[in-house]
Amino acid sequence: MPEPCGRSFDAALLSGWLDGALTQGDEQRVRVHLEDCTECRTRVERMRQLREVTMSTEFPVPPDDQWSERPRTAASRLSLGTGWIIVIVWALALAGYGAWELWTSDEALVAKLLVFGGWTGFGLLLVGVLLDRLKAMKTDRYREVQK
Amino acid sequence: METEIALPLNRPAPRAAATANDPQLIVQAQAGGRGALDELARRMRGPAYVLALQLVGNRDDALDIAQDALLRLFQHLGRVAPDRPVRPWLFAIVRNRARDLWRSRAARPSESLDARPDLAAQLAGPAGDPEQQTALRQHARRVWTAIGALSTAHREILVLRDFHDLSYAEIAEVLGIPAGTVMSRLHAARAALRAALEAEGVRHA
Repeated sequence: MPEPCGRSFDAALLSGWLDGALTQGDEQRVRVHLEDCTECRTRVERMRQLREVTMSTEFPVPPDDQWSERPRTAASRLSLGTGWIIVIVWALALAGYGAWELWTSDEALVAKLLVFGGWTGFGLLLVGVLLDRLKAMKTDRYREVQK
Repeated sequence: METEIALPLNRPAPRAAATANDPQLIVQAQAGGRGALDELARRMRGPAYVLALQLVGNRDDALDIAQDALLRLFQHLGRVAPDRPVRPWLFAIVRNRARDLWRSRAARPSESLDARPDLAAQLAGPAGDPEQQTALRQHARRVWTAIGALSTAHREILVLRDFHDLSYAEIAEVLGIPAGTVMSRLHAARAALRAALEAEGVRHA
C-alpha cells in the first residue's frame, strides 16, 4: 500500500504500530518514520482516537432469562435415551399382553372387537402424535438445550 | 459543515470486556460440570451476541446466532484445548452463522437482511456526566453508523480488533486468513472508516 505522505513506506505498518503487533525491526522503521512525518503521526493519532471511541461504546446484551444455552450432559442424554427405550418396550409388552388376554378370554366376539378396536384407534392416535413430536425434535436446533 | 469532536485523550483507551480463558473452567465444563457450563455460557454469551449484532444488525437474528454458536461450542467442547482462547473459536462460529444467514436471506429476497445495518440504533444508553456523554454518544453513533456502512470484510475485521480486542493471530483464526493479511486488511478497513467519516464531515481533534 502506498505511503500517504508520498515516501517509500508501507502505510499498513501504522496500524501494526497502533496495535503493538510489529516485529522489532518494523517497529524501529515506523518509529524513525514518525519522527519526521507529521502526516503519518496525525493519521496514527486519528486511528487511535477512532479506536478509543469504538472500544468505549457498549451494546446491550439480552437479560439472563432470554438465554437457554446450557446443553444436556452426556449422562442426562444417556438416561433420557435409555428411559425412552424402556418406556416404549414396556408399553408394547403391556399392549401385547392385554391384546392376547382379551382375544383368548370368554367375552363375546363383538365385545372383543369393540374393546380391541377402541384401544387400537387410541394407540394409533398416540403413535401419530409421538411421531410428529419426534420429527419436530429432530429439526429443533435447541433439542440439546436445557434451561 | 465539518464537525470537530474533542475527545478526552488524557484517559487510556478502555479495553474490551475481559474474557480471558480459565483453563480450569474449561476442564470442568468438559467434564460436564453444570456450574462450569453455566459460568462458561455466562462469560461467552455477551461477546458472541454483540459480535453477531455487529455483523447482522438485528437483535433477534443476533440472539439466534449467539445461542446456536454457544450450543455448537458446547457440543464440541471436548475439542477445545483448555490453554487456548475460546473466543476465536466461538467467534468463527458466529461469523460463519452470520454468513449463512446472509446467504439464506439472499436466496429469499422477501426476507432480505439490511446490507448496511444501523449499528448506531443498537448502542446502549449513555451513563455518567450527561453533557459529556451526550457529545461522546453522538460521536459514537456517527462512528458506528459509518462502521455499519462498511463492506462486510472491513466491518468484520474492524470490530474484531477495535471492539473485541482480538490479537492479529486470533483474528486470522476467526476469519480463516493468513496472519500476514490481517494488518493490511485492517489498515484498509480503518482507512475506509476514516474516509466515510470525513465524507460525513466528522474529523477528530
